[in-house]
Amino acid sequence: MNQEPKRGHFAKEKGEVILREHEYDGIQEYDQKLPNWWLFTFYGAVVWFVVYWVLYYHTSTFKSAHELVTQEIVAVQKAKAAELEKTLASLDDATLVHHWATKPEVVAAGEAVFLTNCTACHGADLSATMTAGAVKVPLPGLPLNDHQWKFGGKPMDLFKLINAGSPPESTGHNGAKMQAWGQTLSPKQIAEVVAYLIAKVPEDFKDIPPAN
Amino acid sequence: MTSSITYDDKSVRRFMIASIFWGIVGMLVGVIIATQLSSWRMNGEFWGLVEKLTGGAFKADGISFLTFGRLRPLHTNAVIFAFVGNMMFAGVYYSTQRLCKCRMASDFLSALHFWGWQLIIVAAAVTLPLGFTRGKEYAELIWPINVAVVLIWVVFSVNFLWTLAKRNEPSLYVALWFYISTIVTVAMLYIVNHLSLPTSFTHSYPIFGGLQDGLVQWWYGHNAVAFFLTTPILGIMYYFLPKAANRPVYSYRLSIVHFWSLVFIYIWAGPHHLLNTDLPRWLQMLGMLFSLMLWAPSWGGMLNGLLTLRGAWDKLRTDPVIKFFAAGVTFYGMATFEGPLLSIRAVNALSHYTDWTIGHVHSGALGWNGFMAAGMFYWLAPRLWKTQLWSKALANMHFWVGMVGILLYVVALWCAGIMQGLMLNEVAPGGTTLKYEFLETLESIQVFYILRSVGGTLYLLGFIFCAFNIFMTARSGAAHDETVEVVLLEKKQKDGMRWGEALFNDPLAHIFAAIAFVILWFFLPPHADKACLLIATLLGVKAVRAFKANKERWTNWHERLIENYLPFTVLVFVAVAIGGAVQIIPTLIVKREKNIEGRLQEIYSPLELAGRDIYVTEGCYNCHSQMIRTLVPEVMRYGRSGIADDYSHLGESLFDHPYQWGSKRTGPDIAREGGTLAAGAKYMRVGKRGNDWHFNHFLNPRQTSPGSNMPAYPWLFEKETDVKSLPGKIAAQVSLGVPWPALNKHEITDMVETQAQEIAKSLVDAKVYLPSKPDLQGDALRNHLAKSEVVALIAYLQKLGAYKEVQRKLPPNSLDPDSHRKVTSN
Repeated sequence: MNQEPKRGHFAKEKGEVILREHEYDGIQEYDQKLPNWWLFTFYGAVVWFVVYWVLYYHTSTFKSAHELVTQEIVAVQKAKAAELEKTLASLDDATLVHHWATKPEVVAAGEAVFLTNCTACHGADLSATMTAGAVKVPLPGLPLNDHQWKFGGKPMDLFKLINAGSPPESTGHNGAKMQAWGQTLSPKQIAEVVAYLIAKVPEDFKDIPPAN
Repeated sequence: MTSSITYDDKSVRRFMIASIFWGIVGMLVGVIIATQLSSWRMNGEFWGLVEKLTGGAFKADGISFLTFGRLRPLHTNAVIFAFVGNMMFAGVYYSTQRLCKCRMASDFLSALHFWGWQLIIVAAAVTLPLGFTRGKEYAELIWPINVAVVLIWVVFSVNFLWTLAKRNEPSLYVALWFYISTIVTVAMLYIVNHLSLPTSFTHSYPIFGGLQDGLVQWWYGHNAVAFFLTTPILGIMYYFLPKAANRPVYSYRLSIVHFWSLVFIYIWAGPHHLLNTDLPRWLQMLGMLFSLMLWAPSWGGMLNGLLTLRGAWDKLRTDPVIKFFAAGVTFYGMATFEGPLLSIRAVNALSHYTDWTIGHVHSGALGWNGFMAAGMFYWLAPRLWKTQLWSKALANMHFWVGMVGILLYVVALWCAGIMQGLMLNEVAPGGTTLKYEFLETLESIQVFYILRSVGGTLYLLGFIFCAFNIFMTARSGAAHDETVEVVLLEKKQKDGMRWGEALFNDPLAHIFAAIAFVILWFFLPPHADKACLLIATLLGVKAVRAFKANKERWTNWHERLIENYLPFTVLVFVAVAIGGAVQIIPTLIVKREKNIEGRLQEIYSPLELAGRDIYVTEGCYNCHSQMIRTLVPEVMRYGRSGIADDYSHLGESLFDHPYQWGSKRTGPDIAREGGTLAAGAKYMRVGKRGNDWHFNHFLNPRQTSPGSNMPAYPWLFEKETDVKSLPGKIAAQVSLGVPWPALNKHEITDMVETQAQEIAKSLVDAKVYLPSKPDLQGDALRNHLAKSEVVALIAYLQKLGAYKEVQRKLPPNSLDPDSHRKVTSN
C-alpha cells in the first residue's frame, strides 16, 4: 500500500498526524484525535441526562407539569375572583354612567376592546348586521342599538352578562350563546366596554341618577 | 486481474436534472405559500384577477387547490422527497459506484428507480392539491402512493446493496455507512408511520390514534429529517467535500464515533416535538435529553467537514464548490445547535407552534441541503458532461444571492417566532388575563412575513441561476460516462466475516449490556431502577478498561466489520431500531385505557366524522393545533373559565385517527371550540361560538376576525358532503378499536340527515346569507346547506373537545414509568 501520501503536505510538515494507509477512490483520511472540547460536550450531555433524570424522578425536588400548571391557574383564578369582587364593590350603575362613560380615554379603551372582540357578532355599528352587497345580513349577536336589553338594561347587568356570558338557562340567540368574556378580559376592560356602550347609546342610560 | 469498467453516470445525470427541476417547483410553491401568510388573496382570489380574466364567469374568493392548507404539504413533500430525494440519489449513485469500483448492479433497477420515483412525485403533485391526504405531516400521500414509495425504495435498496455485494473495494468508506443507515432507517420509519386501513382507493385511516399516532408521527417526522435530509447528505459531504478540496478527511476515528452515536441517538429525539403537552413525562424526558446528547454527534459531522478544509481554505476565494460546501456545513452546525436548544422544555414552551421552528427547519433545508446540493451540482456537472462549468461568476452570484436569502429568511422568522411567542405569553397588568389577542400577535409579525417571502424569493432566484448555469454547462459539453481500470477483487477478499465474529464479541457485548441496563433504569420500579443505573455505569467503566487493554482487538473488529456490508447493515438496523422500540412499543401495549387522564373522548357522530375528514382534506392542521399544552398562558388563553386543569388531556383525542394536535399555530388553538348538545337538539352541539359565526367565518374570515390571514372557503358551501362512504369509514374505525355503537347504513344516513338539518335550520333561523345563491330562501336554503360540506365541518368544530369524565384507578405499570414514581414529595 501507498505509504507516501500523494497529497497533504500540510500533514507531512506536522509529522505526527496519522494518515491512514487505505484510500478510497483517491480520498485519504487522517486519524486525528477527537477534539477535547467536543468530547466534553458529549460527556457533559450524557452526564446531564443522568443528573436530570435522577433529580426529577428520585429526589422529589420538582413538581410535575400538571401540578405546576394547575396550582398556578388556581392562583390566577383566585386573583381574578378577588379582582372581580373588588371591581364589583367599587362599581355601580351610577359610577359607570357618570364617571366611566364620561371620560373619553375610558370610552376609547372600551372601543378598542369592543372592536377586537365584539364586532364579529354585534357589528362595528352595534346593529348586529353586516352589508353583503346590497343586502343587510344579521350577525350572530343581538343588536345593541335597538334599545332592548334582553338580560337587563342596567350598566351592571351588562357588566355581569359580558363577564359570565349568556346565562346557562338561556337557549341563546338562534342557538348561539355569548361566551364568558371574563375568561379573556379583565374586569377593568369589561367596565370599559360597558362605558363604551353607554357612550354609544346614552339615551338608554339617562335615567340613572348620579350617586350622592 | 484488472478490468475496464464504465460507470452508470446516465442515472446520475437524470437524478440531478430531476432534482433541479423539482427543486424549482418546490421552492416556487414555498414562495407562494409564504406570500399567502401575508395576504389571504394569494389563496386564489388574486385581487379579482381570475374573475376579470374570465369576464366574471368564474367568481373566486379562493381556489380550493391553491389554498395554504393544500399547498403547504405539496411544498414540504416536493422539497424533501423530490428535490433532496433526487439530489441524494444523484450523489449516492455517483459516489457509490466509485467507492465500490464497480457499475451499479442493475441498469434496469436504476431506471426503474428513477422513473418510479418521478411518477410518485407527479402523483403527489396531483393528489395533494386535490385534497387527497392522510393528514400527517410529511406523510400526507395517500396509501396507493405509499405502496409505490415502499416498492421503489426496495428497488433502490436492492440495487444499492447488490452493488455493495459486487464491489471491487474490500472496505466500505464512511459515506457508504451513511447511505446504508439512510436506506435501512427510512424503510423502517416510512413503513411503520404509513400503516393505514384503506376505506377507499384515495382514503385511509392510520392504524394508530391519538397519543400513539402522535408518537409514531414524530418518531417518523423527526427522523425523516435525520435520515432523509441529514445522513445521506453527510455521506455526500464525506465523498464530495474531500474530492473538491483535494484534502484528506480530518479524522477517521471521529467518523466512527460520530456515525454510530448519531444513528443511535437521533431516533430517540422524536418526542421533543410533543414537549409540554400531556405526553407522559418519561417520554418528554427522553425526547429532550437525547436531543441534548445529539448535539455533539451532529457537530462531529460538521467538524469533520470543516476541518477537512484545513489547508484548502484559500480555495474559498476561487472555487464556488468549496464556498457552497463550507457554508452548507456551517449551516448544518448552526441548525444542529439550534435543534437541541429548541428541545429544552423551557425554550420549547416559547418556540413551539411559532415561526421559530419554521426558521430552524429552513436553516437546515436552505442552508445545509440546498447549498450542499448546489456545491455537488457544480462539482458534478463539468464531470458528467466532460467540460468546464459554464460560468463561475454566475455560480458565485448564486452563492451570494442565496446566502442573503437564507439569512433574511432565518432572521425574519427568529424575530417573528420569538416576538409572537413572547406576546402570546404576556400577561396583562394585574396578572389575571393575557395582554394580547391572538390576532394582535399575528398582525405584529406581518412585516417579518414579508421579509421572509423576500428571502425565499432571493433563494429561489439563486437556484434558478444554478439551473441555468448547469443547463449551459451541459450544452457546452456532451454526456460522458467515465471509464476506469479497476483491479477485480476476489470473493475471499471481502465479506468474509462470520456472523458470530461480527455480532458476538467484546465491544458489542459491553455496549449492548450497558444499553440494556440503561433501558431497565428507565422502566423498573423504584430502587430496582437505581440498581440498574449503577450496573450500567459499572459496565461503562468496564467497557472503557476493556477497550484500553485491548485497543487493537476493538479497532480490528471495526476494521473488519466495514469490510462486510451485511453484518454492518444489520448492526445499523439494530442501532436505529432500539430508540423507537423503547418509546413506542410500551405505549402500544399499555394501549388505550391508560392514556386517559380522567377524560374520555366522546365518539363522533357520523356527520362529525365526515366533517373531520373535510378538516383533514383542507389541511386545517397546518395552521390550527388541537392541543392545549400544560403551560399557564395556554390554559389562560384556551382553557375554559373555572377549570384549573384545562389543558388537553390525552383521553380527549384518544380515538382520533389521525391525531390532529398540529405543529404550528398560524391561527389559534381550537381544542376547546366545541361544546355540549344544544338545548332540544338530538345531535347538534353548540360550542364557544354559534353555528352562524362559523358560517360567516368560512365565508369570509375577515368579517368575524378582522386581520385574519385565513383563506375563504366558498366551495364548502357548494360541495356536497360525502355521506356514501361513511358506513365503510365507520366500519374501518371500529376495526381500529374506536368504540362506535353498532350502526347500520340506514341509521348512519338518518343520523347524518337529522344532525345536518338541525344545523342547517339553526343557520336559516339566524338568517345567514349565502352570496353565491342569494335567491335561496327558507326550506330550499336549509336543504341546500344540510347537504353541504360546511355544515359537516361546523358539526365537527362544535364537537371538538367534547369528553366525559372518567375515573379509573390503574395499578402502577412498568411500561408506564411515571405510574410508579412519585415526583413531588408532598
